[in-house]
Amino acid sequence: MMLLTARTISSALRPPYLYGSEFVSQFLFTLRICWLPLLITTFALSYGAPGLQAANILGVLGSVDRLGGFFVLAAVREIGPLITATVIAGAAGTAITADLGARKIREELDALQVLGVDPVKNLVVPRFLALMIATGLFNIYAILFGLFGGMLAAVLHHQPLGPFWVTFFENTSTVDLWGSTLKTTIFGALIAIICCYRGMTASGGAEGVGKAVNQAVVGSLIAFGSFNYVFTQVLLATHPNILTIR
Amino acid sequence: MNEPFIGPREWFGSTGDIGQFSVRVLLDVWSGRVLHFFGEAVRQAGILILSSALVLWIQSFIIGLGACGIEGAYFGQAQGAPAVAGIYSAWCDLREAIPYAFGYMMAAKIGTGIVAEIGAMRINDEIDALEVMGVDSMTFLCATRLLAGWMVLPFLYVAGMGVAYLASYIAVVKQVAAVSSGGYLLVFWQYQNPQDFLYSVTKAMTMATVIVLVACYFGYTASGGPVGVGKATAKSMVLNLVLVTLIGMLGTQLFWGTNPRTPIGG
Repeated sequence: MMLLTARTISSALRPPYLYGSEFVSQFLFTLRICWLPLLITTFALSYGAPGLQAANILGVLGSVDRLGGFFVLAAVREIGPLITATVIAGAAGTAITADLGARKIREELDALQVLGVDPVKNLVVPRFLALMIATGLFNIYAILFGLFGGMLAAVLHHQPLGPFWVTFFENTSTVDLWGSTLKTTIFGALIAIICCYRGMTASGGAEGVGKAVNQAVVGSLIAFGSFNYVFTQVLLATHPNILTIR
Repeated sequence: MNEPFIGPREWFGSTGDIGQFSVRVLLDVWSGRVLHFFGEAVRQAGILILSSALVLWIQSFIIGLGACGIEGAYFGQAQGAPAVAGIYSAWCDLREAIPYAFGYMMAAKIGTGIVAEIGAMRINDEIDALEVMGVDSMTFLCATRLLAGWMVLPFLYVAGMGVAYLASYIAVVKQVAAVSSGGYLLVFWQYQNPQDFLYSVTKAMTMATVIVLVACYFGYTASGGPVGVGKATAKSMVLNLVLVTLIGMLGTQLFWGTNPRTPIGG
C-alpha cells in the first residue's frame, strides 16, 4: 500500500499529464453519488448529536445562545470532517473498489499493462486526485449543512438565531477552517489509496470483489479514524489560541 | 463507466422492495420458523464474534479516545472547568458518538460482508440449489443472520461501550491530565443512568437490525456476475450509512429530545 502511495504520487507529478479527462469524469462521478447521502447524514447527525444534546446541556446552564460557539468544535472541527470522510468512503470509495475489482477479475488491468498503459497513472492517479479534492470541498458543504442542523436545534429550543451566529463567528478562526480542510483532504487521499489498492488486488471471483469492498471500507474507516486522532491532537496542542472561548 | 446508483428516484423505487423483503425475514424470525435452522444461526453468531468483534471495538476505542476524550478534555479546559470533560465524555460516549461509530462500523464490516457472501452465493447459483433441495433459502440465509445478530450484537455493543469509556478515561485523565481520576469519574458516572443506557442499546440494535436486513436484501437480489456483487456491496453501504444516521437522529429526538435528564437543573 505504501508502494502504491509512492508510485501514485510520483506518477501524478511526473509528465506527461494524461489523466485530465479521467480526473474530471471521476470527480463528477464522486459529486453525483455523494451529494445526497452527504447532505442527509450531516444534517441529521448535526441536528441530533451536537444540536439537541449540546443545547440540552447548555439549556440546563441557561445559555442556549452559546450553541453557535459549540458548533465550531462540533461541526467544523470533528463532525464535518468525519462524516464527509465516512460518506466518501462508503459511497465513492466502495464504488471505486467495486469498479477496479471488477476490472481486475475480468483481467482488464492485465490487458491494459499488455497494451503498455500504466494502470497506476491512468486509473489510480485520477481517482486519488479526484477523491482528495472532492473530500476537501465536500467538507465545506458538510459544515454548512451541519450548521443548518444546529439552527434547527436552536429553533426547537425557542432561541433566536442571532446569538447562534454571533457566537459561531466569534469562536471560529481561520486555523479551524484550514485545519478542517487539510484534514479532509488527507482523509480523501487515505481513502483513495486504500480503496484502489483493495480493488487492484481483488481475486477469487464474485466473492472476491465483495470481500475487497468489505476490506476497503473497513480499512478506510479505521485509517481515517486513527489519523483524525493524531491530527486533532497536533492541531489542538500547537494552536492553543483556537480553544479560548470568546 | 457504469454508474451504479445515482438519483433519489432509484432509492425510492427500491424502498418498497426492501420493505417487503424485511417484513418477510422478520416474520420468519418472529414465527420461529428460523428455529429449524438454529444450528446455522449459532454458526453465524460465532462467525460474527470471530470476524467482527475486534474491528468494532477498535472503532469504539478510536472514537472514544479522539472525538469524546481529547475534544472533551480541551473543551473543558477552555472553559476553565476541566471537570466538564466528564459530562462531555459521558454524553458523547453513551448517547451519540458510540452508537454512530458502532453503526457505521457494523454497516462497513457486517453489512458489506453479508452482501459479499450472499451475493456470491446468488451469482454461483447456490441459492437456487438450496431451493431445489427444498430448503427455504430466505429463512436459511437471511433470517438466521438476523437472529445471529440479535444474539451477539447487544453484548458486543455493551463491551464496545466499555472500551470507549476506557479510551475516554485514558485521553482525559492520563493524556491531557487536567482533571484528577476521582474528579473525572464522579462527574462521568453522575451524568448517566440505566435508562440512558437502555436507550443507547435500543438505538444501536435498531441500527443493527436495519443493517442486516438491507445487506441481506442487496445480497439476495444481486445479479450480473462479480461486477454485480461489487456494485450491490457498494449500494448497500450507501443506503446503510444514511439509514444509520437517520435512526441515530430519530433516536436522539425520541429518547432525549429537549429533555436532557441531567442530575442538575430542571
